[in-house]
Amino acid sequence: MPKSIFKAQLKFNLKKQGLFDFVGQISTQGICGIFGDSGAGKTSLVRALIGLDNDFMGEVLFNGQVWQDQHHFVKTENRAIGMVFQEPRLFPHLDALGNLKLALHKNSLYSIATLATLLDFEMLLDKKVAELSGGQKQRIAIARAILTAPQLLIMDEPLSSLDKHSRALLLPFIKQLAKQIPILYITHSMQELFYLSSNMLLINNGKIEAIGEPQQLFLDSTLSLVKHAHSGLLLTVEKLSWDESHAMLQGEVDGQAIFLTIDKMIGEASLQIKIESKDVIIATEKFPHSSLQNCLTTTIEQIEHLSASHILLTLNLGEQKLLAKITVKSLLQLKLKVGLSVFSYIKAVSIIGETS
Amino acid sequence: MLSEFDLSAIYLTFKLAGLTTLILLIISPPLAWWLARSKLFFRPFIESLVALPLVLPPTVLGFYLLLSFSPDSYFGGFWMQLTGSGLAFSFSGLLIASIIYSLPFVVQPLQSAFVNLDKNYLEVAATLGFSPTKTFYKVVFPMTLPSFIIAGALGFAHTIGEFGVVLMIGGNIPGETQVLSIALFDHVETLQYEQAHLLSFSLLAFSMTLLILIYGVLQKRQKRLNNA
Repeated sequence: MPKSIFKAQLKFNLKKQGLFDFVGQISTQGICGIFGDSGAGKTSLVRALIGLDNDFMGEVLFNGQVWQDQHHFVKTENRAIGMVFQEPRLFPHLDALGNLKLALHKNSLYSIATLATLLDFEMLLDKKVAELSGGQKQRIAIARAILTAPQLLIMDEPLSSLDKHSRALLLPFIKQLAKQIPILYITHSMQELFYLSSNMLLINNGKIEAIGEPQQLFLDSTLSLVKHAHSGLLLTVEKLSWDESHAMLQGEVDGQAIFLTIDKMIGEASLQIKIESKDVIIATEKFPHSSLQNCLTTTIEQIEHLSASHILLTLNLGEQKLLAKITVKSLLQLKLKVGLSVFSYIKAVSIIGETS
Repeated sequence: MLSEFDLSAIYLTFKLAGLTTLILLIISPPLAWWLARSKLFFRPFIESLVALPLVLPPTVLGFYLLLSFSPDSYFGGFWMQLTGSGLAFSFSGLLIASIIYSLPFVVQPLQSAFVNLDKNYLEVAATLGFSPTKTFYKVVFPMTLPSFIIAGALGFAHTIGEFGVVLMIGGNIPGETQVLSIALFDHVETLQYEQAHLLSFSLLAFSMTLLILIYGVLQKRQKRLNNA
């Protein structure tokens, strides 16, 4: 039997008169991020997909099964999905264990005990729901959704209101979980999106604007994402090593060395950083006598006018891209043009860790 | 002490109230659920029909029931064919009348509990894959349990206290239709005040105890929920 559980095909065409028009097809393997501004329709889309809103007309197909078409409407309880809402929504008349036991399905990949260890709530099982903090409740709510043995897990901004401990625990856990259960992950956090997902659905104004890799979509100036991108892009730093003598983390961005200040060595081989476009300084010659540590050799790929005084440069690092916001005056002084190779000095870097 | 005549009336009353409450607790939840959720245009009509015994004089209800219990009427005739005995002046007739008469007292607390039940929990139940039956037993029922207790208690207490309807359709047959309220009326009519006192006080004490027990339990539960 093919292990279809690892890969899901979701095809949909859903309309609500004058409000929403969602058309798309995703082949989710791992996590598909659903990104968009508040009010764009992210939650409306997933509610329609799982059948909680039956005012939508159209079709939904999941792995070849019809969930909705002109003549059929499979009820939510028969769609084999798991859902983590923005709020935990634990049943108040049961304790934590009672909530989990009620949801447990015989085909669940995890036992209650395993999830209790992984999500660090072993000590909370006999607690009443009202005695738990928001973060504790949400961890149990996530475990509850996983215990139903879903073929598709939907998470609606599950970390948006959580404490640091819960976020640090949950982000890597969700990333691991996606190797076994495909996940649709709603977020408005660029950090979460880049950390978790390999694929994204961009929602804007009640429509699916684009589907693709986050890195690519954020660089596409024809999309509504461009306003997020203007402030800076995320880069992946690989081959991390700890530079003992300077107490800094050393890594590579597309083969070029970069140094990061961080408290301690981290366990992973790669991490993501965000470089704000205003923190990039462009030079046509190296200037070694400065305190700036990070210099990347880049090629100008695109010059875009933002206003009468400012322009945005798209700089190619090889595979990844960097954005720099500079003044028109600098552009003219340095005689910058597309194709020119320049040195990009980085003033500040923020590290997107699990605790971001 | 209570006479055999009184004890038989007490037994009959409790049997009637118990059976009525049992049947009402079976038929009312689905009806209350439908009234709480339905958007159909004729819902207000059904809702009014259920509430009618609250405003109608019991004798009016009793009169129409008496007519429909007659073997010449459709319902009475059908019952006659089915069971071979008439409904008027019988325990079965009394039971049917009590169910109709006490229906709003059981349906209304349930309906308001279902209306106030947070829809979010029903959505969660659906995403957890619960069938409607499982959702009812594992989510709706435990979350609205106090309303079930109140509904049952009101239905029971109200049936014990009914008089007008019984008088119209039940008559006064000892062991068959002679319930407490009728027996009491009998005592007063025949100037047996001592008997009347005894019976009245027993009923008063019982009702008070029942209500204190129920509200006491509910208060404890409320306190627990508030503290938690």
